[in-house]
Amino acid sequence: MARAQKPKQSRRPQAKSLKQNNLRGFAKRQSLKSQRSSKYSESSDVYEYQPENVRRSKVKLQLEKDELDGARRDISGSEDEDDGPKRNGLRPRLVGENDDEGGLGSDEDEEIDSDEAFDESDEERFAGFNFSTKKRSLQSRTVPLIDLNEDEVELEEAPSENASASEGEDSAADDEEEGDPEDFIDVLDMIDGKGPAESADEGEHTQKEERPSASKARVEGDDVPHLEDEDEDMHDEEDEGISSDESEEDESHISPMDDAISASGDEDDDVGTSLHDLQSFITNLDAGQKRKAPDDEAAPTTETGEARRQKRRMLKERTEAGEENEFAPHRGATKLNLDDLLNPLASSSSNLLSLKKSAKILTSISAKNQTLSAPLPQRTQERLDREAAYQQTKEEVDKWSATMKKIKEAEHLSFPLQAQPAGRTSNLELAAKFKPTTELESAVDRLLKSAKMREEDIAQTESLKMNHLSVEEVSARRAELAKMRELMFRAEAKAKRVAKIKSKTYRRIKKKEKAKIAAKLGEGSDDEDMNEETRMKHEVERARERATLKHKNTGKWAKAMRARGDLDEDQRRDISEMLSRGEKLRRRIQGIGSGDESEEGEDDTEDDEEGAADRIKASAFEELAQLDKGSEGEEDSGRKGKSIFEMKFMKDAIARDQQRAKQMADDFVREMGESNHEDDEDDELTGGRIEESSGATIERVGGRVTYRPGAQQSQLRTVNSLASDTSSITLRSNDLPSDVARSVTPSATSPIPEKLGIATEAPNPWLAPRQDPAKAVPKKHEIAVSKDSASVEKSKNKLRKKAQKHEEEQSKARNDAAVDISMSNVMTLGDNSSAGPSKPKTRSQSGNQRDDGDDDSDVHSEVEEQERLLDRKGKGKANGVKAFEQRDLVARAFAGDNVVRDFAEAKRREMQEDAPKEVDTTLPGWGSWGGTGTRKAQPKPHLIKKVAGVDPTTRADYKKAHVIISEKRDKKAAKYMVKDLPYPYTSKAQFERSMDIPIGTEWNTRVGFQRGTLPKIVTKPGTVINPLEKLL
Amino acid sequence: MVKISVLQHAPSTHLPARPGDPTPTSRNLDPLMHPFARARERTRALNAVKMERIFAKPFIAALEGHVDAVETMARKPGTLNVVASGSWDGGMIVHDISLRRHILRVDEAHKGKISGVCFADEDRLLTCGVDRNVKLWDTREVDENGAGPSDVRKPLNVFPGKSAFNSIDHHRTDPIFATASNIVQIWDETKSAPISNLSFPTSIETISAIKFNLSESSVLASIGSDRTFTLYDIRTGKAERRIVMQMRSNALSWSPTFPTTILLASEDHNLYTFDIRSLKTPSQIYKAHVAAVMSCDWSPTGHQFVSGGWDRTVRIWQEGRGTAPEVYHTKRMQRVTSTLFTSDAKYVLSGSDDGNIRIWKARAHEKLGILDSRERAAIEYRESLKQKWKTDAQVNKISRTRHIPKPVHKAGQLKRTMLEAQRVKEERRRKHTRAGESKPTAEKRKVVIAEQS
Repeated sequence: MARAQKPKQSRRPQAKSLKQNNLRGFAKRQSLKSQRSSKYSESSDVYEYQPENVRRSKVKLQLEKDELDGARRDISGSEDEDDGPKRNGLRPRLVGENDDEGGLGSDEDEEIDSDEAFDESDEERFAGFNFSTKKRSLQSRTVPLIDLNEDEVELEEAPSENASASEGEDSAADDEEEGDPEDFIDVLDMIDGKGPAESADEGEHTQKEERPSASKARVEGDDVPHLEDEDEDMHDEEDEGISSDESEEDESHISPMDDAISASGDEDDDVGTSLHDLQSFITNLDAGQKRKAPDDEAAPTTETGEARRQKRRMLKERTEAGEENEFAPHRGATKLNLDDLLNPLASSSSNLLSLKKSAKILTSISAKNQTLSAPLPQRTQERLDREAAYQQTKEEVDKWSATMKKIKEAEHLSFPLQAQPAGRTSNLELAAKFKPTTELESAVDRLLKSAKMREEDIAQTESLKMNHLSVEEVSARRAELAKMRELMFRAEAKAKRVAKIKSKTYRRIKKKEKAKIAAKLGEGSDDEDMNEETRMKHEVERARERATLKHKNTGKWAKAMRARGDLDEDQRRDISEMLSRGEKLRRRIQGIGSGDESEEGEDDTEDDEEGAADRIKASAFEELAQLDKGSEGEEDSGRKGKSIFEMKFMKDAIARDQQRAKQMADDFVREMGESNHEDDEDDELTGGRIEESSGATIERVGGRVTYRPGAQQSQLRTVNSLASDTSSITLRSNDLPSDVARSVTPSATSPIPEKLGIATEAPNPWLAPRQDPAKAVPKKHEIAVSKDSASVEKSKNKLRKKAQKHEEEQSKARNDAAVDISMSNVMTLGDNSSAGPSKPKTRSQSGNQRDDGDDDSDVHSEVEEQERLLDRKGKGKANGVKAFEQRDLVARAFAGDNVVRDFAEAKRREMQEDAPKEVDTTLPGWGSWGGTGTRKAQPKPHLIKKVAGVDPTTRADYKKAHVIISEKRDKKAAKYMVKDLPYPYTSKAQFERSMDIPIGTEWNTRVGFQRGTLPKIVTKPGTVINPLEKLL
Repeated sequence: MVKISVLQHAPSTHLPARPGDPTPTSRNLDPLMHPFARARERTRALNAVKMERIFAKPFIAALEGHVDAVETMARKPGTLNVVASGSWDGGMIVHDISLRRHILRVDEAHKGKISGVCFADEDRLLTCGVDRNVKLWDTREVDENGAGPSDVRKPLNVFPGKSAFNSIDHHRTDPIFATASNIVQIWDETKSAPISNLSFPTSIETISAIKFNLSESSVLASIGSDRTFTLYDIRTGKAERRIVMQMRSNALSWSPTFPTTILLASEDHNLYTFDIRSLKTPSQIYKAHVAAVMSCDWSPTGHQFVSGGWDRTVRIWQEGRGTAPEVYHTKRMQRVTSTLFTSDAKYVLSGSDDGNIRIWKARAHEKLGILDSRERAAIEYRESLKQKWKTDAQVNKISRTRHIPKPVHKAGQLKRTMLEAQRVKEERRRKHTRAGESKPTAEKRKVVIAEQS
């Protein structure tokens, strides 16, 4: 029976491969092979086909145990060789063997003989014999088939021979018998290269066993998708190498073994007969085991069939009671388990583990599937292979996806993409590589070498020197060196910079500086040590100079020079030197004197500035006063004394002189005495008010009348008013000076506080400008008046008018002072009118106001002014309204800005413009009667042009008060419009933004321009661009 | 002397302070200060695009020598100037295109047409013909036999085949090559018989062209007379996948930059790019030819390709842009049977039925010769202006307009009309069927009929 299984086993791989949806490629197989070879490397042999043989031997071993009662063949000894001889011997007998052996039952002896007789060479022979064109794989594959056949034959024999053979075994054998012929045919077919045609029975049988093996193969195959099916191998042998075939064979040989095991494990339950099979198998096993040794011995000797039969019987008996071991497990009520078979192997090796693992799967699967599916048709299988291959290629190609994505998304590509970056060579690199080639170079090198001036030599010597020094010393030295170098460098840089300056003035200044420094040094020494000596020396020099009169052109030499007509250069220079010296001397003489004076003055001022100033002023005034007195005294004395001075013209002249002197004195007083005579002001102000009303002063001194504008003159007039009124020139004018002198002092001081007063009213931008009467009279006025006396009346009129105005204002001011001042009035007052109330106010409140003025001296900022204003207002009103006033102020500032109304108006205008309208295009005088009496005819309808505008109700901004949406469409602009949003942009804003930014140099920085215009793909002309390469 | 004070022009204010620095600008870069920038740039763009059209003179030279139509061309990898061409009369010429002379000329290289040319490594050249032979040539001007360019050359090796060869291509690195006849065969240069046959089972077609992938060099693709495109891998030794299309393809080319992309020139006037990872639909359809496309070749940059058609035009396409290619034509140029880009992506070669090989500029308006930096900057500025303002109607119109031969124009019109009629018909049909019963299929989905594995 086991023999009967054998053909199945051997064919199993093929069938299995047919059935498998093998996505497994040869790669997988190769890995399998390698695994297997490693597995079986233990039983190493010198023979080429050792692994397969070993495996097969194993299989055989089991099978023999399984089926044979007697040990018909050697398991132990020459297993390797035993296949070949068998084949060889059997081949001719293939057809007729059944009959022969049935009678004889001594085949095994023959087999044994043949086993021993033949060597490995038989395989080759076999190859030559049968499958000359095909490769060994096929042969080796077919070998077991043939064997199997034989075995089956033997099997058939066995029952007949074996009286003690169980019925179950017989039945099994019968089953096999049925399959046998087909099997046979099958093998032949296979040899021919056709696909195996299997009977239903056999198919069933094989399926059972194949499934596990297939699954096992799958387990081993892990994940490599395409395992090439053996069937394919069978058919296109030429493609496959020998090695792969071998590997396949290995596989095929391994699987039978597993199958056998699995079959023994599982089939018991399924098939009723199988249990019996197993039993017989076990018994046989035992027998085989026992008989191995005797067999070997008996091998050479030929035994009779009876004797063998006898032996068998004996063995049979023995096995039934046999001891337990791996080949004969205990026969209890329990089923035979796979573990029972594997247990003995536990100690053997590591490959047991894998075996167990696979066995486990086998058991689990075989339990479920009893029938195995038919193998796929070749075409389908190939398609699956292709599918798998395509998947793999896809995976391979997909490794490029990251690179491709990067290239696609790059903003800038410079081809070739995989160009080798050309490294720059540094100086050091060059120096290191340098070797003198030319004569000159070598000569230089030699020189350097001899002088030990080469880089490395220098470094060496330096390092040698450095060796003696400690670290601190070295660092200090280095630091010092660095410092020196730095300083030198700086000095050099500075010198260079200075040397570049071309300016003459700079040079001159520089020279002077130098001289000064030198002099200073000399002086310093003078002052301190050589005081006496140097002074003496200087004195001597000076004396000599004076003696030689070198500085004067009165000397003898100078005279001689002058006498000479033409001078040469040296002489001229000498002369000029002499002159300059004289000049210097003169200057020194004068300069020393003035310098002394100034020094004195300075000293005084230094003592106590203010006190001294006061004192000086006081003394000056005293002097003036004395002068006045003196002049008066003179006058008196003069009147009494000399007659000539009594004469009128003389008196006039004197008066004029005096007047002039007075004026000068006045000026002086005015300048100096501002601060001193404030007290006087009060009196003067009250008195002088009336006079001030006339903006200009009319001065009459001597025979001439002078009109002068300005405040200060008005004061003059206050005193002189009486005199001027007389308008005639009398002797009384003689006493003018005294009057003037008296009046001048107060009047001169008066305008200043007035000015201050004005200053206090300094301009507030929010307020209307106020006219300053003092300033209001321009200088022009003065000139005009003085020029033509005829215009005196005019000016008088003017003055009068002004005076009147003034009076009015004053009255107003008086009223205002009494009444509460409304803010609006203050704010809206225009030009002059504002001056009225404010000025009087100042006057009226002069008392406290002046205090303010005095405190803040003469400067008043705008802020203060405003504050004061507010204060003043505050007197009239409540203080809390300030904020409101501010707001009001702003409101007033923007008064008249009717924005909303303007907008509405603009919109209305827009709508009107766009509205549909009719335009009369009639040309007057054309197509109508002219002349007098013609009435204007109605415009002809064809001349009325209708402009289809936009109806106000259909406007986009209709009833939207806050917007004006223009309905005009600019045809010219439409030309530049884009109809649709261009492709890459997703929004209008995006597109517009991109168009907004210009890219030209005019609107961009240089770098920005370059970046903005960089093309996406840059290729260099003349550069080969190679396709992308896989970089390892 | 009278002192003259001159207006001083201090160069330091106008020159960079240091050599590398940018030149100081005295402009105000505030965009608000330039209200007319946009208008000015538009005008410049318009001028740029006009200039482009004015200076578009793509034709450079014609290489003569072939007696019959130029069937095939191949450039020598790693060189700029060496191009081999084979003709229908069996003549083979190796050109130096920069000097416009023949490096090698063999008049009777094959009996009948030379169907394929490709360079093996070094100076060797492989040709295949309909005389069922593959021949290996030495292209050096003086070969080891001492035969000069004018002498009669003998092939270094002859590989006999069983049927007429239609195409040949060499592996990028290994000394193997593939030929296309009724099957695909892989040959070793050192062996006289093919080392393996690759074919899609059950196919009885004639393979018309074959190409190795350039980056993934074990992958190769072929097109066949059965309207098929087939993918092979010499590692698995299998034909892996095949697609059947509406119309047969005439040429194919692998992208040098995108290794998964392949370009097919189809009989249906279109070109298709496929991603070999998903062959169900083309990744892009390129429509402009008005007759069958006979040849195609990628630019080495992989961003452009050239195609030659039965309509006597050469077209240069931008990758990913399916319309409006640059179109080249001449009065005397006949059907374009082979096209080629040079290795620097600057020139395009076209071999046509009239037996001439023409050299064109890849960019018609490009200035040849040395450019100084200012000129380059100006050119780049113009290009980017054109790019920016291409949405402007006027600019776009000028840049789009091409004058093409009347027959081509007419054919285009006719084609448009026909397509439009088809579309209308389809639309009507759809309108009169029950709602939702027939849906319009995308153009890309119509291309591939079946994908076979």
